[in-house]
Amino acid sequence: MSNLLECKNLTKSFGSLNALNNVNLSIDKGRIIGLLGPNASGKTTFIKLCNNLLTPTSGKIRIGGYEPGIETKKIISYLPEKNYLNDWMRVSQLIQFFQDFYEDFNRDKAYDMLNKLGLDSKDRLKTMSKGTKEKVQLILTMSREAQLYLLDEPIGGVDPAARDYILDTIIRNYNEDSTVIISTHLIADIEKILDDVIFLKEGQIVLTKTVDEIREESGKSVDSLFREVFKC
Amino acid sequence: MLGKLLKYEIKSTARIFIPLYALLLVFALLNKFLNPFEVMESSVRFNFQSVFQALTASAYFILIVAIFVMTLFIAIQRFYKNLLGDEGYLMFTLPVKTRQNIASKLLIAVMWYILSAVAVITSIAIMVGPREFFEFLQSMIELLKDGLGVASLIILPLFILIQLIHGTLMIYDAMSLGHLFGKQKLLASFGMYAALYFITQIILTIVILSVGSTMFTSFIHSAGPTDVQILSFLGMLGIVAALLSVVHFAITNYILKNKLNLE
Repeated sequence: MSNLLECKNLTKSFGSLNALNNVNLSIDKGRIIGLLGPNASGKTTFIKLCNNLLTPTSGKIRIGGYEPGIETKKIISYLPEKNYLNDWMRVSQLIQFFQDFYEDFNRDKAYDMLNKLGLDSKDRLKTMSKGTKEKVQLILTMSREAQLYLLDEPIGGVDPAARDYILDTIIRNYNEDSTVIISTHLIADIEKILDDVIFLKEGQIVLTKTVDEIREESGKSVDSLFREVFKC
Repeated sequence: MLGKLLKYEIKSTARIFIPLYALLLVFALLNKFLNPFEVMESSVRFNFQSVFQALTASAYFILIVAIFVMTLFIAIQRFYKNLLGDEGYLMFTLPVKTRQNIASKLLIAVMWYILSAVAVITSIAIMVGPREFFEFLQSMIELLKDGLGVASLIILPLFILIQLIHGTLMIYDAMSLGHLFGKQKLLASFGMYAALYFITQIILTIVILSVGSTMFTSFIHSAGPTDVQILSFLGMLGIVAALLSVVHFAITNYILKNKLNLE
């Protein structure tokens, strides 16, 4: 199988609510993909399913040829939308933690990014602002040389200047064998780095296209197309 | 990978227990040199010294209570916060098996139960003096040997260990079952604990009534239970606890693996 990620009839329901409904998808290597949709459209559910944090109600996902499990966790670098790091460790200890558990973690890359963003590796997360914590989380996530990066709302809490640096970081740190999936509703900010977009609405895919196709066919930016598709 | 999980579990918990143990030993030493217990017995005078001595003695007892409360609290909190809370996003996306995550929590919790007991016993040894303490320890061992036989020296600690493991896994199971509820997960966990406790009591009653009935009839006929009877009764309770532990572990593992739904 050449595709990095493949979903067949993927459904996840919570009680009577279908958070994801019969999603079919295949994603290639070497793409930067925007997973776009309004709140509660199933973006986070999809990402959690890929990370084995949820189990599908029906259907299948395969990533790198494996069903979600230990093998996929080795090749997926995941940035949740939560503050998922404990707050008593110093940044240097967190870096050590990641290095201990992930074979693909590149320590030099992490320290390099910390320096560029002016963060001190001796600081504890406890003393940091929300935005700074998010930067640390993103640095840890992007310091892995993973095959698939799943970034759930990576730029929501940081200032616009840091946003640019973060997007830059994402582009610079992924290679042609790896794919980045970014879930967000801040489309205008990330539009310029995207290759493809997936529009999710009420748990279903309403559109998958490359950004170039969108521009050629409709002459619109992704942002304005999004506003059109999801008009309230 | 279990080794790495254990290492970080120790790191996360030692920063709380080591200072507590150190403080306990410091107050044990203070109590030894100020000897407040003797003063309390013999002194009728009220002075500044006696107030200070009363304070160090109370601080010591408060510390002992604090250590027991914290040992249980941390065992629960590490599972609830690190696995079922936001930190679970990290722990469950590490390339480790779910059962390794549970096992690391359990093993380190049990380690602190034992170390907390050791710390408290050591503090007592400091206060009464090592020689007196070992004499006391020896007399206790002799008492057990005479009363229940040599085998009890192995069976009793083993029995306590199994009960500690069983108690911890039952709490984990209750929290995992509580996690299945969409809302009020903490409240549901308490409810689940009550339910599991109730079920355990029923199972124990059934086991004691069926397997134990022969034992009880022999209790009645003889003057009192023999040491073999008491130990085999404990052994039977231990086996039941071990079996229930396996069941609790299996349910916890199943839920965290297949029904996990982090907020």
